[in-house]
Amino acid sequence: MAKLLRMKKIAYTGLGRNKLRTFLMMIGVVIGITALTLIISAGIGAQDRVMDRVKKFGLESMMVFAGGGREMGQPVSGGPVTTLTLRDAETIKREVRAVDEVAPFNRKGNSEIKYLGKSTTAAVFGITPSWAYVWDWDVRSGDFISEDDMDNLNRVCLIGPTVRKELFGNENPIGQQIRIGNVQFEIKGVMQPKGTSPGGGDMDNRVNIPLTTFMRRVANVDYIFGIKILLNSSGEMQQTAENISAILRERHTIAAGIPDDFRIVTPDEVTQFAEKVAGTFNIFFSLVAGIALIAGGVVVANIMLISVNERRREIGLRKAMGARSKDIKLQFLFEATAVTLAGGIIGIVLGGIGAQILKMITGMPVSISWEGIALGVVSSSLVGIIAGMQPASRAAKLQPVESLRS
Amino acid sequence: MNNTLINAKNLSKIYGKENSAQVVAVNEVSMEIRRGEFVAIMGASGSGKSTLMNILGCLDKPTRGALFLDGSEVSKMDDEQLAKIRNQKIGFVFQSFNLLARTSALENVELPLIYSDKQDITKLAKEALQAVGLSDRLDHHPSELSGGQQQRVAVARALVNDPEIIFADEPTGNLDTRSSLEIIALFAELYKMGRTIVLVTHEPDIAAHTRRIIKIADGKIIADEENRLHGTWQK
Ligand SMILES: Nc1ncnc2c1ncn2[C@@H]1O[C@H](COP(=O)(O)OP(=O)(O)O)[C@@H](O)[C@H]1O
Ligand SMILES: [Mg+2]
Repeated sequence: MAKLLRMKKIAYTGLGRNKLRTFLMMIGVVIGITALTLIISAGIGAQDRVMDRVKKFGLESMMVFAGGGREMGQPVSGGPVTTLTLRDAETIKREVRAVDEVAPFNRKGNSEIKYLGKSTTAAVFGITPSWAYVWDWDVRSGDFISEDDMDNLNRVCLIGPTVRKELFGNENPIGQQIRIGNVQFEIKGVMQPKGTSPGGGDMDNRVNIPLTTFMRRVANVDYIFGIKILLNSSGEMQQTAENISAILRERHTIAAGIPDDFRIVTPDEVTQFAEKVAGTFNIFFSLVAGIALIAGGVVVANIMLISVNERRREIGLRKAMGARSKDIKLQFLFEATAVTLAGGIIGIVLGGIGAQILKMITGMPVSISWEGIALGVVSSSLVGIIAGMQPASRAAKLQPVESLRS
Repeated sequence: MNNTLINAKNLSKIYGKENSAQVVAVNEVSMEIRRGEFVAIMGASGSGKSTLMNILGCLDKPTRGALFLDGSEVSKMDDEQLAKIRNQKIGFVFQSFNLLARTSALENVELPLIYSDKQDITKLAKEALQAVGLSDRLDHHPSELSGGQQQRVAVARALVNDPEIIFADEPTGNLDTRSSLEIIALFAELYKMGRTIVLVTHEPDIAAHTRRIIKIADGKIIADEENRLHGTWQK
């Protein structure tokens, strides 16, 4: 401890007091660490988003969507795909051992929902009683859709909290009649809030109705949009996906060599997609950070060399007073590191501000993290240590008599 | 108790590589300095005074010869051991003061102590500055002090580690007559308090204040005698 205090004292008596130089030494590190902080903030933001997404999606589940060959995130090209059916979902549940439960569904975006004089737009989902279990998403009040509702094509619905707020305010909606398009439905329950979807949509602005009712009375179709499948264990993910694929190909009579007319999405794919988006951004800023830190290090090394040269007398004096070579070395390393660390801290602050601005402009998720701050502190210190190494050794090697003569 | 502080045997310092033009700055010098002496090393410019003093002060290494300080052979020591010797046993005063700019008098005097194990370095530095009469200038930077005052700060810095011996290389060389007299009077006072002082100068007026005068020319001692004006130099 006493040693540390003494070190501080040495550094204090020696710290470069040339403001312009200190500024020049800092600038590269400031830019580098600013970029680095941006990457980390945005990277962590993206990672949070992926985790959020995976969490909402469920680690032990997968999705089957109607229509093949489309990449995640890209819109379906062409008209609706009509090959995936309720029977497919039932078969998957019956025949694949690793499947715990299935939740087939269909959906329709932006439908007009009316209650008395008021109206709002919401997505309409056709769901089954298994939905609550598979999505871990039940009603907050009232009752969920029942098998009886499915069998009888009942015109009942569950509304999301947003729809409830829009149409009912503080009024109790349960038992009230609303209109979806021209069909009248009785409200059976209000869904638990779920927040925004990974894609940014409001998952609470929905009206859920029995899937059978959806198919017969609302959309008048035989097919479904997708199936969420809950597994017994996540270990057999890939094998299960292959089994399901085989069953669907057989049921859809797809010959070998012909592409699938469905698409199976596992949590891995969700993660990969999000990483791909974050990747481009990261590469650019990593380059900026890397180049700036290297350039900053070169500047620091050169200015330190100039400084060592100019301070030969001081070094000679310190040695005459009893400083050992390693004291001198440590002093210059300390000076270089103090400057780059200060630059690093400024960079962390600027990067944090930049991340907030980025968030405001692009809506990109960012989060300031301890990891980011720690990495900024460590890498700026490292730049100082590495860049200061050669000048510090040169200073340490100076002979007292010659240095004092200069 | 052995009164010999410095014992030099056939010290030589040769600059330049063999076969090329060589300068013999110090040539086979042998001498002894006892505790409590006040010695002047005199000689013309280029005669080797500084080189000799730097060797005696463990700042420089002799090309040949042996040097004993306080009984141990410093001419066999490595750089780290020499640094420790300089830190604990030796104080230096230079012609050009060599104070750190933009650093207070107090911090300048603390400098040798930050490389030592000593505690209370601020207290010791204040005492040293008091000893040279600068208690009221602790926070002044060198640029705010006169030449004489700056050199007194340097003397305080040489004193602060309570060294066995103080070496001063032309300490009055950059000062006007009045300041020179002040500084030499300060050394004389320290001598009276028991300090061992070796002072390099080419000014007879300054050397006159010491008790023993060693004259060198071309790196050799040509005279080594007691300063008559002051009676015996062996206290
Ligand atoms: N580093 C060096 N390289 C070569 N010659 C030197 C060096 N240092 C001193 N000398 C020479 O050694 C001689 C003695 O120098 P110095 O001890 O500085 O003399 P003084 O202090 O008496 O003026 C001079 O001739 C000087 O030129
Ligand atoms: Mg000289």
